[in-house]
Amino acid sequence: MQVFGPNELVDDVLKRDFCIGCGACVNLCPYFRSYYGKTAMLFPCTLSQGQCFAYCPKVEVDLDALSSGLLGSAYDGSPLGGVQEVLASRAGEKTGPGPFQAGGTVSALVSFALQTGRIDAAVLTDREGLIPVPRLVTEASEVATYATSKFTAAPTLAALNQGRRDGHTRMGVVGTPCQVTAVAQMRLNPLDKKDFQDGVGLVVGLFCTWAVDTRRLAALLSERVDPRGIRKMDMPPPPSELMVIDTGRGKVEIPLDEIRPLVPQGCQICPDMTSEWADVSVGVMEGTPEWNTLIVRTEKGRELVEEARQEGVLVTEAMPETNLGRLRTASLNKKKRALVRAREKGVLNTSDDGSRSALRVRDEVLKRILG
Amino acid sequence: MSHLVDGEPGSRHLMMGNEAIARGALEAGVSVAAGYPGTPSSEIIETLAKAAEARGLYVEWSTNEKVALEVAAAASFAGLRGLAVMKQNGVNVASDFLLHLAGSGTRGGMVLIPCDDPGALSSINEGESRHFARLVEVPLLEPGDFQEAKDMVKWAFELSEELQSLVMLRSVTRLSHASGDVTFGALPEGQPQAAFHCDGFVLDANEGAVMSAPVDYKHGQQHDKLKKAEALFETCPFNTYTGPEKPEVLVITSSACNLYSREAIKLLDVEGRVGLLKLGTTWPIPPRLVEKHLGLTDKVLIVEEVVCFLEDQVKILTAELGAQVGVKTFFGKRDGSLPMVGEMNPDHVAAALAKILGVQAESVPEEYAGRAQEAGFVGAPGRELTFCPGCPHRASFWSIHNALELDNRKGFVCGDIGCYTMGVLPAGFSTLKTVHAMGSGTGVASGFGKLGPFGLDQPVLSVCGDSTFFHSAIPALINAVHHKSDITMVLLDNSGTGMTGFQPHPGLPRDALGEDAPAIDPAEVCRAMGARVEIADPFDIETTQQVLLDLLQDRKGVKVLVLRQICALSPEKKGKKLYEMTLDQEVCVGENCGCNRLCTRIFRCPGLVWDHEKQAARLDEVICTGCGVCASICPSGAIQRREVA
Amino acid sequence: MKNGTLTSDPYNLIIAGVGGQGNVLASRVLGGMLTGKGYHVTIGDTFGASQRGGSVMSHIRISRDASWSPQIPKGRAHMIIALEPTEALRVLADYGNPKVQVLCNTRPIYSVGVICGELAYPSLEDLEKWVRGLSEKAWFLDATNAAMKLGNPIFGNIMMIGALGGTGALPVDRQDFEAAVSRDMSPDRVQVNLAAYDMGVKMVEG
Repeated sequence: MQVFGPNELVDDVLKRDFCIGCGACVNLCPYFRSYYGKTAMLFPCTLSQGQCFAYCPKVEVDLDALSSGLLGSAYDGSPLGGVQEVLASRAGEKTGPGPFQAGGTVSALVSFALQTGRIDAAVLTDREGLIPVPRLVTEASEVATYATSKFTAAPTLAALNQGRRDGHTRMGVVGTPCQVTAVAQMRLNPLDKKDFQDGVGLVVGLFCTWAVDTRRLAALLSERVDPRGIRKMDMPPPPSELMVIDTGRGKVEIPLDEIRPLVPQGCQICPDMTSEWADVSVGVMEGTPEWNTLIVRTEKGRELVEEARQEGVLVTEAMPETNLGRLRTASLNKKKRALVRAREKGVLNTSDDGSRSALRVRDEVLKRILG
Repeated sequence: MSHLVDGEPGSRHLMMGNEAIARGALEAGVSVAAGYPGTPSSEIIETLAKAAEARGLYVEWSTNEKVALEVAAAASFAGLRGLAVMKQNGVNVASDFLLHLAGSGTRGGMVLIPCDDPGALSSINEGESRHFARLVEVPLLEPGDFQEAKDMVKWAFELSEELQSLVMLRSVTRLSHASGDVTFGALPEGQPQAAFHCDGFVLDANEGAVMSAPVDYKHGQQHDKLKKAEALFETCPFNTYTGPEKPEVLVITSSACNLYSREAIKLLDVEGRVGLLKLGTTWPIPPRLVEKHLGLTDKVLIVEEVVCFLEDQVKILTAELGAQVGVKTFFGKRDGSLPMVGEMNPDHVAAALAKILGVQAESVPEEYAGRAQEAGFVGAPGRELTFCPGCPHRASFWSIHNALELDNRKGFVCGDIGCYTMGVLPAGFSTLKTVHAMGSGTGVASGFGKLGPFGLDQPVLSVCGDSTFFHSAIPALINAVHHKSDITMVLLDNSGTGMTGFQPHPGLPRDALGEDAPAIDPAEVCRAMGARVEIADPFDIETTQQVLLDLLQDRKGVKVLVLRQICALSPEKKGKKLYEMTLDQEVCVGENCGCNRLCTRIFRCPGLVWDHEKQAARLDEVICTGCGVCASICPSGAIQRREVA
Repeated sequence: MKNGTLTSDPYNLIIAGVGGQGNVLASRVLGGMLTGKGYHVTIGDTFGASQRGGSVMSHIRISRDASWSPQIPKGRAHMIIALEPTEALRVLADYGNPKVQVLCNTRPIYSVGVICGELAYPSLEDLEKWVRGLSEKAWFLDATNAAMKLGNPIFGNIMMIGALGGTGALPVDRQDFEAAVSRDMSPDRVQVNLAAYDMGVKMVEG
């Protein structure tokens, strides 16, 4: 893993417009800040190596280093990443009703983890109007409040960094694949800091195909919706081709053709649909809106799911093979698109002459994925 | 200061040039003096304000220089002696009225004293005011030393009354802010009475309406006055010649350059070869006097600051005289003998003279000079200008800078004149991107704010000081409101004219004489215009930043943020701490990732020092003024503040 | 040298320091002492940006019978009083010569460039070595520290005037100082200023 400093981060990510505003560099220091969906560097910093660069999921992400560091084996490019089990799931009766979208699996697991002391705080994403806002939550009852889909890139990890400064030692992070990748990089202590604590107790990954740029979405919607009135945003599964915004006074439908151009460049080089570096990953289940797809990846994830099920917090069923097949295909397609795009942009596996990559994958794995 | 009023006639005092000018005005029996603060002129009005009670004067710091000239002119129209004082740039502001006043003529003695700043020691340009005398056609005087600074003021009033014309008397930094010996004259007795006679025949200079029309008549009259002035100048005692009867080189000079020229001649030991014609009356120049001296030499060196003013006049005169004086060789700025820019000094003049005469000045041994230069370079680290410890501007620019970076749309700030001009430097985080005249930040912003349809989508801000607001930002802001220009003006309200020494302005409840005055609230003025106005304390950087970000989101029309916090140097504030500050060097993370010396590397308040040995920041308790701002920027909590009860 | 004459006419003295050190006051007091003795004095102060951390310099021209330019020609200083040690070097670079004498307060005032770690401040040993190498005679005094014992570092400038009196370089003494400060100061302030002056005298004599 190559670690450079803030100036390289600005050159490679901010200036190339690859920043998706995940918040990994925010609140580490006084220099990087997030505002209204965008990350800014306030003043020049002269360090040659920084956490900001090391954690960023859009520069020098070495998939082998991550896989060996976290899973103990080389990255093999399988569509869904490391998997123990794929289940259909939804919140159990003990979880109680919530405003959550789909099956409520994330809220159920996170509030359960808080209640049982597995985590000492949860890093979640709220929304103020159209602006996604990070939240650090310590009460299980608050978790469901933030459980709706955002669809815009969010600086969630700023809350993780703040929580670590505030002394939290085992936070539960709910994040998109880019955010989960950043957390994975943090956990490897890339700067070899003494007495380093990542502060992470649990990582719940979300499925994500792409997100949209907050400011560009706001500009698009500004003449159609009052952002303060937005209650819920949804993208029904294909073939709907719509973003549906519930304003409380009725629904506003925006064709996806208008939304897709708002996807930031950084999303287009993301090879991860299912948050492969999480303990568990959760997404919608195609054709069954009241259920989630739940991928159990780690031992920690398995124990959590098992106990939640026993306590009636979570209900699971076996995942039908057809759904699993479609999930693999979709995930593999995202990998292919991203790697091709990254190669076109000259940010994939650059040579060792000192030039920096966004992403590094072994050649044989690359060949396997691209077929 | 007491000797200013009590000093006996004939007594000698060491005085600053500006004090000498003020004493001269007192000896002339001035009744009304008005000005706007500006270095190097401010001490003249300040000194007169101190003498106001004892001498029965009315002295004011006017809203701007044009108003100051108008206020002083009213005294003249009413038969009193009136004085207007300003920095050179102020004459630009006053110039519209100046032209009218030159045309209308005056009654009681009326003198305008502009103080120029050659070399821009306290300015951001080295503009000069002498051309205004020629432009508006009024007589111009330039004192050549401290005694003359006093004496010529008195004479200027007499001349003004004799000609019934405004008289300009120009000073420069090296006279105004230097000190020398001055022998006092007497102060007049009695209080003059004011009356404005305006019911007479319209063309009657003493009883009619005061105006510059009918133009052909009045302009003609003005030229008659100039002719009369020219004649008086031929025998004026302030025009002096020293040197041999037929010098090899004639130096023609005026003002502080007189002192430099005199010194250069002595330095080169060429008193027997060089003549020095010092002119105290530099517009119009006395033609016969100059002709006489031109006739006695072949080479002429003209020494002046800053642009070619005397040089042009002397050359024109020489051309007009033609064969009478013969062909001369001129040296000065145009031929490169003297530098075109920057202030003059004895060395420049000596170098020019040495070259013309083919002599060499005694100089420091080369080996010594080399060592001295090297030691100075290595041993005397530069002293970059910065905001004072505890200055609200540092905190304001911190928040403005950060809000613009966060906003991330390449917003920029237009600025103008005040301590906050330093916002263009690292001291202000290089936040200002345009700097021009007083109030121009907001005027320029008003223009930028209309460029949206041409594709300019960057947020446009301006900053403006409280005194500058009253001086000239109000019309610019009205323009922006009326034309729905999309701008945010940040009013840096530090309760005084900080840069020049806390002179009061219309926003404060006291005037130049220390008397109660109705204060005008800039925020209310802006609200009355229809602007959205918010008020914050710049020391509260979180709130300030948030308010500013909200204003930036509000795309339409004019927004005003008033950042209110008193200047750290103001007499009310000095020595009073808001907070007791502490810095725990154990907690400070210094150069590590996590802060990288934010406080000493970026914030750079003089109260915080980078301690190389401990690799941590250190608080200099002697310098710290306890504003508390650094505690809110320190990410590690090493800097703590405790409110002072 | 109470009734002595000037060693040079004009005698060129420079007081250099940093904004806030009382440079202008010191030059005014010295000017007052000399005017009181009938000398012609011209002082050229450069203090435009002094409050904002800049260097401040006063050129003092002393003459029996003439007024001189408020700017001393380059290389023509007879005496430099530096209220801050690096300012001595800054002045020497332009106005020094092998015959110049230097009275130097040793208390540093760091510039912003030094504070923020971009510029290095020289060691006192180096400063002394350079100043001695560039002057005929040099005195180094910790006037600021001594002044703090009197309750305020600002008395450092008066101590330097006392030191100047102690060197005998100019025909002025304690009485001239007392006369000059008595004109503008209350009696108790005159006393503490006299104490500062005396300490300065001792510093160069001892």
